[in-house]
Amino acid sequence: MIEVKDLHKTYIMGKIKVPALRGVSFSVQDGEFLAIMGPSGSGKSTLMHLIGCLDYPTSGEYWIDGREISSISDDRLAEIRNQKIGFVFQQFNLLSRTTILQNVEIPLIYRGVSIRKRRQMAREALEKVGLGHRLTHKPNEISGGQKQRVAIARALVNNPAIILADEPTGNLDSKTGQEILEIFTDLNNQGHTIVLVTHEKEIAGYARRVIELRDGEILKDEVVA
Amino acid sequence: MILETLRIALRSMASNKLRTFLSMLGIIIGVAAVIAIVSIGTGARGEVTSQIANLGSNTININPGVQRGEGGRISRPYTDIFTLALGENIQKYSPAVQSLVPIGQGTGLLITGSTNVRATVVGTAPDYTAINDYYPAGGRFLQEEDLEQNSNVIILGSEVAEDLFGDRDPLGRTVRLSYGNRTHIFTVFGVMEEKSQGLAGNFNAQVYIPITTFMQKVANTRYVDSYMAQAGSSADAKIAVGQIEYFLTQSLGGSDRFRLLSQDQILEVIDQVTNTLNIMLGGIAGISLLVGGIGIMNIMLVSVTERTREIGIRKALGAKRRHIMRQFLIEALSLGGIGGVVGIVFGRLGAGAIARFGGWAPVVSIVSVLLALGFALLVGLFFGIYPAYKASRLDPVKALSYE
Repeated sequence: MIEVKDLHKTYIMGKIKVPALRGVSFSVQDGEFLAIMGPSGSGKSTLMHLIGCLDYPTSGEYWIDGREISSISDDRLAEIRNQKIGFVFQQFNLLSRTTILQNVEIPLIYRGVSIRKRRQMAREALEKVGLGHRLTHKPNEISGGQKQRVAIARALVNNPAIILADEPTGNLDSKTGQEILEIFTDLNNQGHTIVLVTHEKEIAGYARRVIELRDGEILKDEVVA
Repeated sequence: MILETLRIALRSMASNKLRTFLSMLGIIIGVAAVIAIVSIGTGARGEVTSQIANLGSNTININPGVQRGEGGRISRPYTDIFTLALGENIQKYSPAVQSLVPIGQGTGLLITGSTNVRATVVGTAPDYTAINDYYPAGGRFLQEEDLEQNSNVIILGSEVAEDLFGDRDPLGRTVRLSYGNRTHIFTVFGVMEEKSQGLAGNFNAQVYIPITTFMQKVANTRYVDSYMAQAGSSADAKIAVGQIEYFLTQSLGGSDRFRLLSQDQILEVIDQVTNTLNIMLGGIAGISLLVGGIGIMNIMLVSVTERTREIGIRKALGAKRRHIMRQFLIEALSLGGIGGVVGIVFGRLGAGAIARFGGWAPVVSIVSVLLALGFALLVGLFFGIYPAYKASRLDPVKALSYE
């Protein structure tokens, strides 16, 4: 479970203060499928960085699984990212020189899992997204949709509290994008908590709850279907 | 984990082989220089030492001192101070001296029926063989009776024997020795073994006659030219030098009347020369290792910038600072280490080539290999720290959005 309370983030550009988030509060229960929507400049990227523990808020609180983390150290934050958060990026962000299997192993390496165990866990995660037969391929040898599946397997492998997907279909054609979104739906049905960041209403439609951001504030927070 | 990181490092190096090689070049040259220098130094020193040992071991040469030229007199060596009796006294009053022979020397012409050969005539005593570690190959060397009886016994150096007699056996034959303006008849009693040419000149082109015969019949003098002494060990040789110095200063009335040259002194001079050389070459090696280190730092900084996005991904997936730091340090260490190994190979090849040129065995000691490799790794580590630190401090948000 995650909870944000009155989250502010202000960037300082030279002498000008640019507020990106102006007091955002909400909570996400385990097993939810939430979409954060908004046009560019609405602060959704900033919010995603904060939820993903990649950045510190200027003020406010951020609780994840009962722990307040807005002011813990860099390395502790890395640990939280490793254990609680699974990222899926628009750019896939796979390491191009390593095999698919090794890409999925990375979070396990930093958790200190033994080589045999992590090989097995990575294989299982890849099988879950239907790529059990491509383990030794490099990312440039597979299609965009397959790349995103690898990224999802990587996000899943540490069994995180939430899967954080930032425009996961932005670089895919609509058919492949749909397949990816169906994977997210499946995962949600299996009990995974999913936070989807997007600017497309259609994609947000896959979620059960939509938070709409505008100018750094929550415009709407509603449960859909 | 470490192995994993090493594999990542090697893969990233392999993906850009030329660049990797160029950035290693400084280290390669530095390490090759270290290996070659140590090898050449050891080889050359071994060669010179063996040449010195060729002179006989723990020997001390006693030569007359040089007179200063004053008031129109020309500077020249003292010629009329070394006698046979003085030689006996040196041995008597210098207990560390094991044996001592007088040396009288000059150039003469040796004549057989149809052939003649110019040779250095050495008048000496039986112990000459032991002191110089130089023995007859056939017949015998000089004996005490020869000296007592002023016999016309001659022992030929191998080259002289060859030149005079060719294939014929020289033993028992007579030769005429023309020296100054007189000629003497000698009988050949021995032919010496071949001795490789060393610092002392060519033994093979010399002939040996009893010192008494040399002084009384051939050169007509009451004095000898020098003495050659030998001590039992190199420690004794040092003591012997002191004793001889003391005795001769007392009996000749001045330390300028004679000069002592021991192997230790020669070795010391050679050591000084090699040391100077080693310091110079070591400096060159050090500078190229430094330059190599800067090369590594440069390439590591480039690598960090190029892989900013990778660092961002790794951080997002949970890499801590020390993980990133370790990854880049291991990469820098691999650069240094591989450069070191390549350098060792090149150094060994260079040392081998120079050793063949110099005619000694190439010596690449395990110590110098470890030393060179250690330096290479140390340089890699030291110059890798800053780039690795820089990588570990990257902000994940900025790193992820880096194009």
